[in-house]
Amino acid sequence: MSALIEKLLPEADVSDDGSFGALRRKAQKVLMQHGFPQRKTENWKYLPLGLLEKRTFSTAGPLTGPVPAPPEFPFETGIVHMHNGLLDPQRCRLPRGVAITGMLPSDIDASKLDDTSPADAFAWLNLARFDQGWKLRVEGRVEQPLAIVTSCDEDFEAAIHPRLKVELAEGAALTLLEVQHSEAAGLINGVLDLELAPKSSLVHLIDRSFGETALIQRTTARVSDAAEYRAFVLDGGGRLTRQDLMAELDAAGASASISGVAALGGRALVDYHTAIEHLLGRTSSRENFRILADDQAVGVFNGRIHIVPGADDSHSEMNTGNLLLSEDARINTKPELEIHAEDVTASHGATIGQLDDDARFYLRSRGLTDGQAIALLKYGFAAAVFDGMDAGALKEWMLERLEACL
Amino acid sequence: MSETQQQVEDLIQSRYKAGFYTDIESDTIPAGLNEEVIAMISAKKSEPEWLLEWRLKAFHHWQTLTGPNWAKLNLPPIDFQKIHYFSSPKQKDRPQSLDEVDPKLLETFDKLGVPLHERARLAGVAVDAVFDSVSVGTTFQKELEEAGVIFCSFSEAVQNHPDLVREYLGSVVPYRDNYFACLNSAVFSDGSFVYIPEGTKCPMELSTYFRINARDTGQFERTLIIAEPGAEVSYLEGCTAPMRDENQLHAAVVELVAREKAKVKYSTVQNWYPGDENGKGGIYNFVTKRGDCREDDARISWTQVETGSAITWKYPSCVLRGDRSAGEFYSVALTHNHQQADTGTKMIHLGKNTSSKIISKGISAGKSSNSYRGLVRMAKKADSARNYTQCDSLLIGKTCGAHTFPYIESSNPTAKIEHEATTSRIGEDQLFYCQSRGLDEEEAVALIVDGFCKEVFKELPMEFAVEAKALLEISLEGAVG
Repeated sequence: MSALIEKLLPEADVSDDGSFGALRRKAQKVLMQHGFPQRKTENWKYLPLGLLEKRTFSTAGPLTGPVPAPPEFPFETGIVHMHNGLLDPQRCRLPRGVAITGMLPSDIDASKLDDTSPADAFAWLNLARFDQGWKLRVEGRVEQPLAIVTSCDEDFEAAIHPRLKVELAEGAALTLLEVQHSEAAGLINGVLDLELAPKSSLVHLIDRSFGETALIQRTTARVSDAAEYRAFVLDGGGRLTRQDLMAELDAAGASASISGVAALGGRALVDYHTAIEHLLGRTSSRENFRILADDQAVGVFNGRIHIVPGADDSHSEMNTGNLLLSEDARINTKPELEIHAEDVTASHGATIGQLDDDARFYLRSRGLTDGQAIALLKYGFAAAVFDGMDAGALKEWMLERLEACL
Repeated sequence: MSETQQQVEDLIQSRYKAGFYTDIESDTIPAGLNEEVIAMISAKKSEPEWLLEWRLKAFHHWQTLTGPNWAKLNLPPIDFQKIHYFSSPKQKDRPQSLDEVDPKLLETFDKLGVPLHERARLAGVAVDAVFDSVSVGTTFQKELEEAGVIFCSFSEAVQNHPDLVREYLGSVVPYRDNYFACLNSAVFSDGSFVYIPEGTKCPMELSTYFRINARDTGQFERTLIIAEPGAEVSYLEGCTAPMRDENQLHAAVVELVAREKAKVKYSTVQNWYPGDENGKGGIYNFVTKRGDCREDDARISWTQVETGSAITWKYPSCVLRGDRSAGEFYSVALTHNHQQADTGTKMIHLGKNTSSKIISKGISAGKSSNSYRGLVRMAKKADSARNYTQCDSLLIGKTCGAHTFPYIESSNPTAKIEHEATTSRIGEDQLFYCQSRGLDEEEAVALIVDGFCKEVFKELPMEFAVEAKALLEISLEGAVG
């Protein structure tokens, strides 16, 4: 994997730019020492990073041409648009209660990154190479959703390392919508930190689909006392997508739920690793993730629930359902429980199967073609993931997007 | 000693009844691991040249490997040069009948409740007793021979049935398979060999009892069971060791071959010394067990009750190669005090219409850590394969851990996999109900745990089920309150 180091971390490229210098130097040291994950690195065993080795990444430069307009949404929304990994605060349309500032070293907490193995190599790479990080501060209940749009030029072939932090003040509430679509052959190695102060609430929607663009994204939500984090993911696939989505419940009354669906076709390769850490008692979590894999697609889901010693009265539930729709598709799933406290309940269920022949037959007997029956069953299977969303324009939009993905 | 002190001593002893030591003169080769030691083991057993070469190939490969570090175990480094790789009770020649066996050895197995002597004929179970590195006796050999069944120690099989051993040894677990299997291939000393000819149902249960006695030794036995087409056999395995402050190593390999329509049932009650309540001493139990359903309609069933060992690293597996072949895994793993277990199974579905069932029950108490680690893999050609997994954990106490790491991989769109797992503690309402009916807390816990494990116990042969239940109760002593 040293070839990848040379491609992604040319030594001269790590700038020692004052305030972030110490962090960058540490990141570089860890990377040089442990390199990138290999097939034997437990949490990366299903992701062939060799695909990245075959690519050549150009150096990201400043924007030269016009920036395309962000997509239209059928509802009022604020916009933060990142094009080719660059964000211009002047082009942001922020709802009332949200402010954007440049990131400071104190906004970054690298203490939980593993510096003894290659497991967190891409997070270290982001730290070593991110250009300008941004912080969004949310005060009060923000009625309008905020969309963070990621796009790239068609011929964009660089490796970019966007870094964002969203901080919710006590009692704040926000609906955050991440919209990520790109066909270009670059690499997006992003980090998103979410900080939920006591009694705050964040609904986090992700709508993404990629062509040749490789995405390696690490998202961490730190959830405080009586705060609530709810994530809904819709992934239409990409040549290589890796999402680490973690929720740390670090105060009593904190709760998290992660619901997601990946509808994959072609040669998509999508690897979702979720982890919910119950760090204190009286916390609760719920996960529901579904993958539909068609053509030659590969879907991976690794869900982890960790209840630490003393986190009594914690409750956790995880479900993963998967549909294999073609002979050449593959699904690997690993729902993990790591329980160190006694007074808890934790459970998980996992299934891999195919569409039910009886249900198909029934729908055809009611006048649908086989194609329509299959489409309806797939939609029914996937849409159930969004049952927990509040009814309204956003949910309708997500379901429309799902239908388009399928 | 005062009466109270005596009572405390008795209680400690009662928790591990097999912890005594037999004072017997033994023939032990010097500690250390090198080619000479391997050649010495081979020479002691008068092995043919090919087997020594196989051992040496394994040893050379082992030297290139590093120990596994992926399990959820806190494993202190092992000094392989400090272990004696061969130790046997001193005797001139291998006894021709049980009458010639050293009475001290017979007494030891009597004390362990293993019916070695012919007077135990009524028990109706043929036993191969392995003491440290050698088999000291096998019962009912004649009766089994009449049915065409070969049941003997591995060393005897090498001498008397070399072609069979050569054909099947390493055919299920190759010496390159993993670190501990590779070590075993280099230094294995004895074990059991079973051959059931075509169309034969083994007339009685077969059993091997493994006993580690000597200090600073490791036990590296190898078991090979071959069931020809249409054959059926049920095999039981038990094991104990004396209580010592030092850790001892047990690295075994078990290979099962089931040909067309053959059925093999393999049951284990593992009761190696688990160490004391402070985590001192105990056996490191690193075992590779694998069954190969080599032809159509074969069936292999693993049942294990794991209560002993300081550290357990064990994943009895089934390779479901033949069409319609079936694999089963029933497990109860109990850890207490400072015990650590990382155990589970692998079901590799290669053939069409293959099926597998996994029922795993983990119970953690004290400061122990108990992990289920399993793999279900549906290969591309495993059309209409089916798996069902149920994996439950019970926590007793605030300082233990229960973990589940199931790997599920499917490359076939017609295969169906279902997995479910739960972790919880014993319900207060259940305890309250039992206590309101007159049971004390410990009895109530034992009853609830027994119910929790029932699905697995019912798969065990009768005598083992009774033993397993009693063992579980003893192991849980002191877990509540």
